[in-house]
Amino acid sequence: MITYILRRLLYTIPIVIGVLLLTFFLFTVVGGDISQQIAGKNADAQTIAEIRHEYGFDKPLFWSLDSQFLDHFKKALTFNFGRALDREKISEKILRGVGPSLSLTAPMFFGTLAISISLSLLVAFARGTWLDVTVVVLCVAGMSIPYLSFIIFGQYFFAYKIGAFPIMYMPEQSMTYSLALPILIGIAAGLGANLRFYRTVMLDEMRSDYVRTAFAKGLSTPKVLFKHVLKNAMIPIITNVVLVIPFLVLGSFLLERFFGIPGLGSLMIEAFASRDYFIINAMTFIFALLICFFTVLTDICYALVDPRIQFE
Amino acid sequence: MKKIFRIFNCLSVSALIVGFGGLLFCISCGKQDSDKERQKVIRLPMLTKIQTLDCGNLTDVYSISIASQIFEPLYDYHYLKRPYEIVPLTAEGMPEISEDHLVYTIRIKKGIYFQDDPCFPEGKGRELKADDFVYAIKRIANIKFVSQRWVDWNGRVVGLDEFREFTKSFDKELDVDYSVEVEGLKALNDYTLQLKLVKPWPQLQWNLATVVTSPVAREAVEYYDKEIMYHPVGTGPYKLKIWQQGFFIELERNEKWRTEVYPSEGEPADLEQGYLADAGKPIPFADRAVYRVIEEFQPAWLMFLRGELDVMQVFKDNFSQAVDPATLTATAEMKDRGIRLIIYDDPSIFWVGFNMQDPTLGKNPPLRKAISRAINRQAAVDLFFNGIHKIAYGYLPPGLEEYDPSIVHTDYSKYDPDEARLLLREAEAIHGSSIPSLTMAIPGTGNLDRQMGQFMQKYLADVGLDLKIEYMDWPTYLDELNKGKLQMFFSGASPSIPDSLDMLLAFCSWNWGYGGNHFFYSNPEFDALFRKAEVMFPSPQRTAICRKLERIMLEDYPAAFINHRVAITIVHDWYRNAKPSAFSYNTLKYRSVDPDKRNAYKDLLKELKKKKK
Amino acid sequence: MNKIQSTNLITEEILPGRSLWADGIRRLRKRPLAMICFVIMILYGGLAVFEFAAELAGWEKASVAHWNEITGPSYQKPFAPYEWIKEDGSKQIRREWFGTDFLGRSTFRRTLYGAKTSITVALCASLISLAIGVPLGAIAGYFRGWIDDLVLWVLSTLDTIPYIVLIMAFAVILRERTVFGLHLRGITAVYLAMGLTSWVGICRLIRGEIIKRKESEYVLAARATGCSNRRIIFRHLLPNVFHIIIINLSLRFVGFIHAEVILSFLGLGETDKPSWGAMIDSARAELARDVWWEMTAATAAIFLLSLALNLFGDALRDCLDPKLRVD
Repeated sequence: MITYILRRLLYTIPIVIGVLLLTFFLFTVVGGDISQQIAGKNADAQTIAEIRHEYGFDKPLFWSLDSQFLDHFKKALTFNFGRALDREKISEKILRGVGPSLSLTAPMFFGTLAISISLSLLVAFARGTWLDVTVVVLCVAGMSIPYLSFIIFGQYFFAYKIGAFPIMYMPEQSMTYSLALPILIGIAAGLGANLRFYRTVMLDEMRSDYVRTAFAKGLSTPKVLFKHVLKNAMIPIITNVVLVIPFLVLGSFLLERFFGIPGLGSLMIEAFASRDYFIINAMTFIFALLICFFTVLTDICYALVDPRIQFE
Repeated sequence: MKKIFRIFNCLSVSALIVGFGGLLFCISCGKQDSDKERQKVIRLPMLTKIQTLDCGNLTDVYSISIASQIFEPLYDYHYLKRPYEIVPLTAEGMPEISEDHLVYTIRIKKGIYFQDDPCFPEGKGRELKADDFVYAIKRIANIKFVSQRWVDWNGRVVGLDEFREFTKSFDKELDVDYSVEVEGLKALNDYTLQLKLVKPWPQLQWNLATVVTSPVAREAVEYYDKEIMYHPVGTGPYKLKIWQQGFFIELERNEKWRTEVYPSEGEPADLEQGYLADAGKPIPFADRAVYRVIEEFQPAWLMFLRGELDVMQVFKDNFSQAVDPATLTATAEMKDRGIRLIIYDDPSIFWVGFNMQDPTLGKNPPLRKAISRAINRQAAVDLFFNGIHKIAYGYLPPGLEEYDPSIVHTDYSKYDPDEARLLLREAEAIHGSSIPSLTMAIPGTGNLDRQMGQFMQKYLADVGLDLKIEYMDWPTYLDELNKGKLQMFFSGASPSIPDSLDMLLAFCSWNWGYGGNHFFYSNPEFDALFRKAEVMFPSPQRTAICRKLERIMLEDYPAAFINHRVAITIVHDWYRNAKPSAFSYNTLKYRSVDPDKRNAYKDLLKELKKKKK
Repeated sequence: MNKIQSTNLITEEILPGRSLWADGIRRLRKRPLAMICFVIMILYGGLAVFEFAAELAGWEKASVAHWNEITGPSYQKPFAPYEWIKEDGSKQIRREWFGTDFLGRSTFRRTLYGAKTSITVALCASLISLAIGVPLGAIAGYFRGWIDDLVLWVLSTLDTIPYIVLIMAFAVILRERTVFGLHLRGITAVYLAMGLTSWVGICRLIRGEIIKRKESEYVLAARATGCSNRRIIFRHLLPNVFHIIIINLSLRFVGFIHAEVILSFLGLGETDKPSWGAMIDSARAELARDVWWEMTAATAAIFLLSLALNLFGDALRDCLDPKLRVD
């Protein structure tokens, strides 16, 4: 077991290196020098040269002991990401964003999960009937509406026309009050895809031989559903849940942007808008690590839940 | 296996409960009342995120508008009097200027203290000294500080450029030895400051009234080092409480601030508009000020309507709801809510610039003229600015002393598609073939930018010119603009000091590219005349030269000037003393709110809703 | 499944068997909903082709294709008749189906034109992701060894970066750049960014299928008759997984259309010509003046196309992939 985990962890090393190589290529080799932007509108050449020096844009890309390439790796591997363009420490910025992002996405995710699993069981129970067909068509319809339209209409009607919620995040008010509307919109927008996914999962299980056997044995439908189907559907569900966790941390950049929530999604959009590649580098690296970690965790969960999977 | 199932089942059920319960909870706890509501809090929108609060490096108006509440320069603009008048702020009276206009001696008020901050011994702010001004300006000169404001001081003060040269030998900003004396910038004693200039500098008085030249406590710079921009330590009426980058900024009253009173004289109309109601009362009025960063107009407007913001700019899409176009007052709907409008000339100018070094445009004056004739400025003003903005007949904006009222009768900005077509024929003869498609850069990728681009395309297409628009983000735009890579560009400017020469600097040939002449315009006659005006102090003669300079430049059509902004601010009933000012930003101390009226607004809204039914 | 196919191969000379496709299409025909969706898709496709042709040929008579023409004052409400005084002074009473935009152009025509933009983006992005993903996946799955390791490494690396970060990075970096003499602006950068980031899924899928099938009888038979590896991959294996590519694509298409909206919101999308994303984006500010029709029209257009694609993709999967077949 331990050797299995260790081997899985070792396997992530080349992936992390790959991510670092890619971010270096994208943001340093191609993205490059942004000293002009830092210097501002009327800066003279001298000032720009000074800024290039300060941010290290004048260092050689590769073949040197203090090349930007080595610097890139050193920064990531020591978790010392330095300062953003606005000179605030990047680690502080990221840590500050995790809270609001999670308070938005975690209730959103678990809300969607709870509703869609309960509904999917119901639908699987009534498969083939008009209820099933209606729910499926509604799901697909929900998936077909652009996310942006959900947000714009939601904000306009529920916050402004009806006035039940604040229009934007209120730093002075309680978090729950501010976040209720974005969470509701997020659930509404994500429900279609999730419900359809879990319905397929349930139906896949219902087609398997053991279910046929259980029915043949004369077990009642609810019993089959809850005892057999849901239990076996756990594998795809758990995979889904665990793999989604890193993305919960990343937040929902559209919702955060529209409601002015100071989370990581907003931070990322802002970093892209101001070309702050230092922040993007750091965030990409941290997320890659998180995703790697949770992928390993999923594999372990798999092995725990499904006795057919052996630790090689 | 079963265990996991059970755990998961519990999890999903509890998630459900938490989810719905949480929602119910947060809806119910929405109405949190507290004693805080009695406090005088000003709530303002901020259109973009604040870059820095380091006063030696402030460039954009948004950062300046916040830093100005915390830092105090030597001089200030009178809050109510127009035309703008300089009054002492931390200085004791106006500067003593030598006969040859080269030596300025300024006395500083005694008993001004920095705000309390951990960077001082025992956290107590110390008294302001003349040395703090010397330090602030030397710091701007320090190349390792890479201030964006060095351009203001370049080649002005005796010995300062040598000091900048000297700082190059150091590694970091803090290593630089500030004890090196600069001939033209000295503290004669603790309360006397002396400036010696290389040549007369008529604009110095305005520069000493911008927040950029505010005194800086050396202790703070050394204590906070790289993070000084997040820890402004000034002598002003407010201090920074919270700054969450990109979301909100909260200022609170500096309890240690000296006693000052609201001005008791102003313009004749001020009495009638209620700007003198608080005359003689001690300032500042508000306990706190919260600036929300809201980049989108729509949510900001909705928040304003719900009373969550005190002030709001009227923009293109909320105009019809807010303004009655016939009388230019608030609409009945707004009046019912106690909302009023403030309209004022905001000196500014927007243009479509031409690159004079471009092979197609540069050598072809009829082509530039044709483009200028093809743009329907009235339509642009109607469409984008609801017919409120003024058409730019020339370059210098109204509100400046040198604005020439007779320029309205010239035809530099005439819309005449027929003449444009004729001019195009002429241009084609010069070009040798038909004019290839032109490219215009617009800074910004937003909705309004796109609409502006489509507008330009339409009007140029009407006279037979093909226009391509490149929507660039600000950094790319800036880079290409400074390097002269753009053929045509949409741009604008507003004077930071009430002086036209500062604006005309953008057409001097020694300022190409990085200096600010993005037209790459060069005219020896213009240059020579500018050199002459540069050392002159305000006089009718100088005004005449400025107007002449403007005409010389307009004849060459380096740009098609479009419009001057007229700002419309919309404010709630409870927001008081909101007199607009184009040049001074440290006005928060004069503003006031009435918390009772604000708290009653929600009931007012409910009442109005009932009435509607 | 492999067995079924191999029997088909043998009995082909005796009995004219139905191919997988003919069989699938026969099943598809029996589903009225799928056929309606198919017709909707064809209509959208036809619209895109029409707009494209009209633009290319500059058809004067097809006024519907003139999205840039001013047809009234700005912000006229849908269906309501309005009086319009032209620049030359003539008066006219008109009405526009979906109202007019800020310049007074017809929202209806702009929505129609948006079909071309969206479908071009989605099509180009799909083609790019196929062109990269399919050969790479096939080669990796067929040869295994170090090539497979390398491809897997690239796949896992790209999988480890959140998709939205990747696509924004590409879109930001590709904008306003000249690559091989091609100046990337507007939608070119958009579909390049989408294509270059979205091939991972299809590549993984193809790789898996090829691994599953490469030991099957028909491949062994082909190898025994001396076929080259290239021939086996491209003539024998890929045609047999083609239906998987199609199913995957029909669902991915929707994703691309929705991604265009989001990129437009971020200011990275099409700028000169109408696109649904740009229309929704512009509605954000205009809702304040109660201009709801531009956003509604674009949302409805996206909704209908996505719905058709989604339902049709589902039906196609049910009919073509026997493993998932439900009767």
